[in-house]
Amino acid sequence: MSSWIDGVMVVLILTNLALLGTSRITVCIRIIALQGVVLGTLPMLAGEEVTLRLALLTTATVLLKGVVFPWLLLRAMRKAEIQREVEPYVGYILSVMVGLLSLGGSVWLAQGLPLPGPMAGTLALPVALFMIFVGLFTICSRRKAISQILGYIVVENGMYAFGAVILDEVPTLVELGVLLDVFVAVFVMGVAIYHIRREFDHMDVDQLDTLKG
Amino acid sequence: MNEMAIFWLLLLLPTACAGLCLLLRSPQAIMRVVGAGALCQGAVGAAAALKVLRGGQAILSSNGWFNLDALSAFHLLVMMIVFSLSSLFAWGYFHEEMSEGQLRLRLARRFGALWFGSMAAMTLVLISNNLGILWVGIEATTLLTAFLICIHRTAASLEAMWKYLIICSVGVAFAFMGTLLVAASTAGVLPSDEALLWTRLVASAGQLNPMMLKAGFLFLLVGYGTKAGLAPMHTWLPDAHSQAPAPVSAMFSGFLLNSSLYCILRYLPIMEGGAGMAGWGPRLLLLFGLVSILVAAVFIYFQRDVKRLLAYSTVEHIGIMAVGVGLGGAGAAAAMFHMLNHSIAKSLTFFGAGRVGQHYETHEIGKIQGMLRSCPAWGAGLFAGVLALIGAAPFAIFMSEFQVLKAAAGSHSWWTLGLFLGGAGMVFMGALRHLIAMAWGDPSITRVQRTGWLEGAIVVVPCLALLALGIWMPQGLQDAVRQAAAVIAGGKP
Repeated sequence: MSSWIDGVMVVLILTNLALLGTSRITVCIRIIALQGVVLGTLPMLAGEEVTLRLALLTTATVLLKGVVFPWLLLRAMRKAEIQREVEPYVGYILSVMVGLLSLGGSVWLAQGLPLPGPMAGTLALPVALFMIFVGLFTICSRRKAISQILGYIVVENGMYAFGAVILDEVPTLVELGVLLDVFVAVFVMGVAIYHIRREFDHMDVDQLDTLKG
Repeated sequence: MNEMAIFWLLLLLPTACAGLCLLLRSPQAIMRVVGAGALCQGAVGAAAALKVLRGGQAILSSNGWFNLDALSAFHLLVMMIVFSLSSLFAWGYFHEEMSEGQLRLRLARRFGALWFGSMAAMTLVLISNNLGILWVGIEATTLLTAFLICIHRTAASLEAMWKYLIICSVGVAFAFMGTLLVAASTAGVLPSDEALLWTRLVASAGQLNPMMLKAGFLFLLVGYGTKAGLAPMHTWLPDAHSQAPAPVSAMFSGFLLNSSLYCILRYLPIMEGGAGMAGWGPRLLLLFGLVSILVAAVFIYFQRDVKRLLAYSTVEHIGIMAVGVGLGGAGAAAAMFHMLNHSIAKSLTFFGAGRVGQHYETHEIGKIQGMLRSCPAWGAGLFAGVLALIGAAPFAIFMSEFQVLKAAAGSHSWWTLGLFLGGAGMVFMGALRHLIAMAWGDPSITRVQRTGWLEGAIVVVPCLALLALGIWMPQGLQDAVRQAAAVIAGGKP
């Protein structure tokens, strides 16, 4: 199964790089959706055998990250009448270069942190660190508030990938609680964007700067 | 009583009140439910906490998911004090807006439901023994409190809400990574269904993988530290505190931040028990604490907005608690005592700042003058509260800061002692300068603010409590503080 897991990890890396190089927000949202679907299969691949618990978890994750999140984001975009460009502070090509650099950095960092036991040798930790970095970079380098939500989802996905491979038996209740929290977070952020748009008539984060000192 | 019943009661009571708030048909009724519900919950929580603190025996649910030990019981007690005070205060604070029809039913319902919802989430944080559920609870508090910040919808409050939401969500996500790394450190030591249970982790800390633990603790410290307001991750805090309505600011400073610091404290005994790591975790926490004190001191000195001043003062005090815990031993006990004092004093000052601000229709320090004359009750409350906060004797905060200093001297950490004294001194001078300007001088408005008996009591009782605790610390409280500190030290007294 481990080769399948590494295959998924490679897809995750590619989606992140694609995200950094994409200029249209709707395409970004679709990339995140693809990432969510691929991510959802991880618990199934990491488990020893297919149990009801794993099947449930996989379904919930794929539905949530692959369907519900993109739908929420697209709806928020439509309601707030957001224009389609990402409007980055850092250019697309430079962003991808930063992404590649951070990939190298994550691999180097993860080498200093060997995973104990049966998880040794998987790409889980470097990919998780890489996704955390890409997510933070997206949050900092894009002007639109909706990109910050995308960044948050990428950070969260990275941790999910790590968790799914590392822990085969986290109690279902905890996993569901985490999924629920993330769902509510994305939902609340979508609502917040709508209110900001209505109040400010824009949703550019660089103009949210009246509170200082 | 059956132990599971206690835990369920603590969680379901506020949830039921939240539901009730959504059904009521007038803002007045909702505010009454807020006050009464918080008092009921306060009584239940205090009873459970006192049972643990008096008996000296933790209540552990049979399935191991819930645990109320001395540390969580002491936090629960502080939380109940802050919530009861803030809920009673909310009545007076929203009273004018309600009678003028500004606080519409929809907003009142939202306030009530989110208020009790965040109360339930914080209770969940305190009583869960499963570190995964602990994380779920903290993230839930972020989401539930976000819209409390912008009950009064203005451009500034929306901006503050957005910053709070993004910074804290991402920060707390880091803590999730930390939780996973700590769980990964148990590979081959604990069966996987016990990998996140705190009691099991502490018991077998010595066998866990130290590299994973260290990496995990870094993520946890940054993650939960963001929400606890430790500098340099504190940037969301002054915005959120200055824009939120006063009862919400008081709840944020008085308990929300403590609950996040509590999560870090939960991991300290695991770190301390880890192989070859004695002193590593506390030293890091100490460092963040000192940075927080110094950063806050600079911003307080040059502050122009009274609520932002109080927010930075919170950063300072969270820093003092982190320093106390980082010093260990007597320092940890002093930090627990300090937390109680700070929560009382900070609630009082945010109440005062909120009501004085309503009267002057501004929070700018330069525009508030002669508040002792034009707002006799709340002006005096704010005055006494800030005096307590900056560590003036004989208030209780003076005593707890003195105990932290003594612990620093006792462990010969002269750098800590010096930096702490320097920061606290700068805060003292900076805040006193602003306070004197606000207290005296010619009031720009001649109208005198009127307050009812309930508001008078909310001013007087915390002041007296702070004075009393500064002069005499009851034996029961001393025991409670010592027991809580013993949990942080991993059961060693």
